[in-house]
Amino acid sequence: MISFQNVSKIYYSSVNSYPITALKDVSFIVEPKEFVSIVGRSGAGKTTLVKLLIGEERITEGEIFFRNKNIARIKSNELQKIRKKIGVVYQDYRLLFSKTVYENVSYILEVMGFSDQDIARDVSRILGIVRLRERAKNFPEELSGGEQQRLVIARALVHQPEIVIADEPTGNLDPYNTFEIINLFKKINESGTTVILATHDKRIIDGLAKRVITLEAGRLIRDEQGGKFIL
Amino acid sequence: MFISLKRVFKFAWQGFLRNRVLGLEVMFIMAIAVFLITSLFLFQGISDFLIKEVQEKVDVSVYFKETVREEEILSVERNLYKFSNEIESVEYISREKALENFIEKHKDEPIYLEALQEIGYNPFLPSLNIKARDPSYYAPISNYLNQDSLQGIIERVSFFQNKKVIDKLSSITANVKTVVISLSLILGLLAVLITFNTIKLTIFTSKEEISTMQLVGASNWFIRGPFVIQGIFYGIISVLAVNLLFLIAFAFFSYRLETFFLGFNLLNYFQMNFLSLLWIQIAFAGILAIFSTLLALHKYLKV
Repeated sequence: MISFQNVSKIYYSSVNSYPITALKDVSFIVEPKEFVSIVGRSGAGKTTLVKLLIGEERITEGEIFFRNKNIARIKSNELQKIRKKIGVVYQDYRLLFSKTVYENVSYILEVMGFSDQDIARDVSRILGIVRLRERAKNFPEELSGGEQQRLVIARALVHQPEIVIADEPTGNLDPYNTFEIINLFKKINESGTTVILATHDKRIIDGLAKRVITLEAGRLIRDEQGGKFIL
Repeated sequence: MFISLKRVFKFAWQGFLRNRVLGLEVMFIMAIAVFLITSLFLFQGISDFLIKEVQEKVDVSVYFKETVREEEILSVERNLYKFSNEIESVEYISREKALENFIEKHKDEPIYLEALQEIGYNPFLPSLNIKARDPSYYAPISNYLNQDSLQGIIERVSFFQNKKVIDKLSSITANVKTVVISLSLILGLLAVLITFNTIKLTIFTSKEEISTMQLVGASNWFIRGPFVIQGIFYGIISVLAVNLLFLIAFAFFSYRLETFFLGFNLLNYFQMNFLSLLWIQIAFAGILAIFSTLLALHKYLKV
């Protein structure tokens, strides 16, 4: 489903154009319905990997395929079609601050052309799951950090994407909410959705017992099924 | 398609209602631009009226010698009607009629009437008063009147005495028109640039959201649409505000300004030309809003 082939990403410092290698020669394949965790310390390249996968950043070398389509070479409208199939939980949330909680979640469904009735039903359901139904009319800036994170998760899941990519989705959640959200990811994975989870939370990884890809300084150093968080 | 369009309008309306402060700034700046365009339109109307007024004052009066018989004058009049393309009207004014006109005109000014009595006879000459369809036609008419065969009966032709004054007036009007149009264009251009920058600023504040919208798969037109429509809303409100302002100002000052503009009634002109003016204003504000929004968004919509 997703294939990284010798992918490298180099950023250039805006001050002195000094090259900073974020990813170096990374290769792996994610099959449909898999649950893959990507672990690594801060700056290991987890977020860069997510950005490359959704086409937010351009790769420097290598190829990324999503269902045999080369993400670096497809037209922008094709990329937008792929993005609709992916639900992303961003580390920095990327909420629409001019829209209410309800509108943040419904936006993707409106983009996809769902009917108003379907939107009302699906948004209400997902807001119920992340326990934000009472906050539907609030604006994101009126929510706590944890609520904002749950809102991002609701937005990523509402359209039942084929693949969910979550970049540090529990960073602002208490242990109880963390447990619930990870369980939610497990459930949607069991129902057939591919999940890619980038995190540096050892407890989550050890508790999942799923495939773990470990990054260190931009390099893939370990890729094992039922892996543990080892750094 | 219809459902997407409906949503684009919904987002535009939401944005319009939620960004009131920025919206007010944009509307204020756009109103200045529309005000300048409207002023230019009104000035055009005023200057056309004034030029027409001046042109209407231009006529050729041919004064015949005292001894010339009425049949001869009427024969010249008949010949003048051969210039049917150039001449609008020819009026014969006999000596008696000229005297009558003078008395009527100065009935409240006894000094003139006393002077007339002092002379003791009718000093007025018979004349033909000629009005051309356009001031440029006076030259061929004058040439006709200057031919040798008529010199024996014509005392003088007044056109040449008025010509200098009229030319001077036309030149002043044309110069003032050029200066005002140039100034308006410069100010209009400034207003356009300021409007563009204000719209750019409002879009800049949304650049994070635009990026997020792209990342969830929204197409460019789905992102652009609400901003463009919001810009058009701002434009329409600016146009309405400017028209309301002019209407109120004219309702109060039009009467006073009428004397200043030689009888030109601004309120009447504004009302009579309101539809065409409205089209110009809406087209101007709409194009300005659409163009500025698209240009400002272009930078943020590169996938």
